[in-house]
Amino acid sequence: MSTSALARPRTARQKETRRYLLIYAAVTPFVVIAVFPIYWMAITAFKQDPDLYRMDNIPFWFNMAPTLKHFHTLFYQTNYGAWIVNTMTISVWVALITLLTAVPAGYALARLRLPGAENTGIGIFMSYLVPPIILFLPLSRVVAALGLQDSWWALVVVYPTFTIPFGTWLMMGFFKTVPMEMEEAARVDGCGFLGAFLRVVLPVSVPGVLTAVIFAFTLSMQDFLYGLAFVAPGDQKPVPVGVPTELIRGDVYYWGSLMGAALLVGLPVAVLYNFFLDRFIQGITGGVGK
Amino acid sequence: MTSSSQAGDPDTKSVRVAVSLAIPRPGGWFRSQTARRLGFGYALLAPAALYVALLVAVPFLFSLYLAVSDASVGEQMASFVGLENFKAALEMDTFWIALRNSVVFFVAAAILKSILGTSLAFLLLQNFRGKKIVRALVVIPFTLPVAISVLGWKWMYDSQFSVFNWVLSRMGLIGAYGTDAWPVWLGDPRLALIACVLVNVWRTFPFSAIVLLAGFTSVPNEVLDAAKVDGCTFMQRFHHVVVPMIFPILMVGFLFDTVFTLSDLSVVYILTQGGPGNSTQILPVLAYQIGIQAGNLGRGAAIALFLVPLLAPAMFVFLRNLKRREY
Repeated sequence: MSTSALARPRTARQKETRRYLLIYAAVTPFVVIAVFPIYWMAITAFKQDPDLYRMDNIPFWFNMAPTLKHFHTLFYQTNYGAWIVNTMTISVWVALITLLTAVPAGYALARLRLPGAENTGIGIFMSYLVPPIILFLPLSRVVAALGLQDSWWALVVVYPTFTIPFGTWLMMGFFKTVPMEMEEAARVDGCGFLGAFLRVVLPVSVPGVLTAVIFAFTLSMQDFLYGLAFVAPGDQKPVPVGVPTELIRGDVYYWGSLMGAALLVGLPVAVLYNFFLDRFIQGITGGVGK
Repeated sequence: MTSSSQAGDPDTKSVRVAVSLAIPRPGGWFRSQTARRLGFGYALLAPAALYVALLVAVPFLFSLYLAVSDASVGEQMASFVGLENFKAALEMDTFWIALRNSVVFFVAAAILKSILGTSLAFLLLQNFRGKKIVRALVVIPFTLPVAISVLGWKWMYDSQFSVFNWVLSRMGLIGAYGTDAWPVWLGDPRLALIACVLVNVWRTFPFSAIVLLAGFTSVPNEVLDAAKVDGCTFMQRFHHVVVPMIFPILMVGFLFDTVFTLSDLSVVYILTQGGPGNSTQILPVLAYQIGIQAGNLGRGAAIALFLVPLLAPAMFVFLRNLKRREY
């Protein structure tokens, strides 16, 4: 009697423990595969050169004291500082353009009962799926016609071609979740359409608008082709383009600086994107803001 | 509003006035409201629609034009050359190598990432402590800007200090550095394409997993319970309930991956630039090299457009799926 009463919870606990062990054993390889390259980049950025370029030591930890020398090189001997400034400025402009176009468009398509709104929305979103590799050659002519070749302003013009479609789609889904009664109440109270939109709908849509801004930023950071094709001068590039094209000189690789440069900007973007990944997935699978 | 009644007798006039008072300002007020709503709506829509039309739709049409012209980077004027560029592309050996590599790259990557993605999705369906942390960690490859993570892989594939080779040689699986038994990942034509595929798989398998997970969690428990009550076995439930319900989401995920894998140039461009000896040459890299580096815009546009038939089926499925969806 007493033994079975003792044994039962123990087997249940054992079962539970075994389940956990199995799950952790299965999850570990995935985590290692996903994270190891980033760990490897990080440790490379802080290793001294003699520690990096030798094959007899165990390379997974520091065999010599960590160093900040690679970062020093980055900021004092390359255009890295300028690239960060370019990236930030480009992102701010792209976010601004996306806000001023995608938020109103999303609202119009979701709430103002325009004829053919649904198809227009889908049409705009479809343009997100036209890959840059098809557009970059004609766009290079557009950029040249605007006189923006060889300046990061070219990217300010071009990045909204993918942030506006995604942003409009995202905002369309978002505005559908705002209760209709709010606008109606505002209209009854004598607000015009613009008043209702600016004073009633926008204030409650701040989370959606912020999401659109974050995506304008993170999607811009994913680009490589446009930056590669349109911006040649070394000091005009954004970080994701400058690092692979300028810091690799011929066959000489400055791996420590390269890895430091990549992660210093890449990791914050990855973390930010991480928080909004579910919105991204919802966005592309159709049910935005559901 | 009621101005057509000038000649009418006083009686009908007063009736009209009474009606127009009872239903305040019929037609006119309502119509002007609608007109104002539509006007406001189109005004709000215009900037985004114009931007997309001018910088996506027009350039797309322009790329069709480029493809049938002899446009080049230096020249302002271009003349019509018909299908010359397409014909020239089809006559290039490199084009066929690039097409074959693109297809091999895509298929191999798709198989690997669906295996990894499905397993990961099933694991993340389980409840366990630390799941949120695990999730946040495994999606990092997808959220890290692509050009940046590819650099990390380039270092890991280094011809001498590759960390993979360090591990393999300590395990005694490969020979000494400098011998034929020492794999040079990006320098060996037999290995380079595999190396590129692995980077794509690493980058996108979390995306497959998260899309699948979104699909699984969108199936309401009540539906599964109902099927269970009706006597369905696990396999029946999976086959007849779960799969049909998550199918649309799966298709969208598949489409996105198709578009972004086939049209991505950054992995191959940063790792190998298509080399060694064209062994990793793919259509996007070739289009870039011919269009920008060699300055032959027309030829480059033609090569990029060869991606359209590869992408079109995916686009079609996506469109149909979106239209069917209630959201």
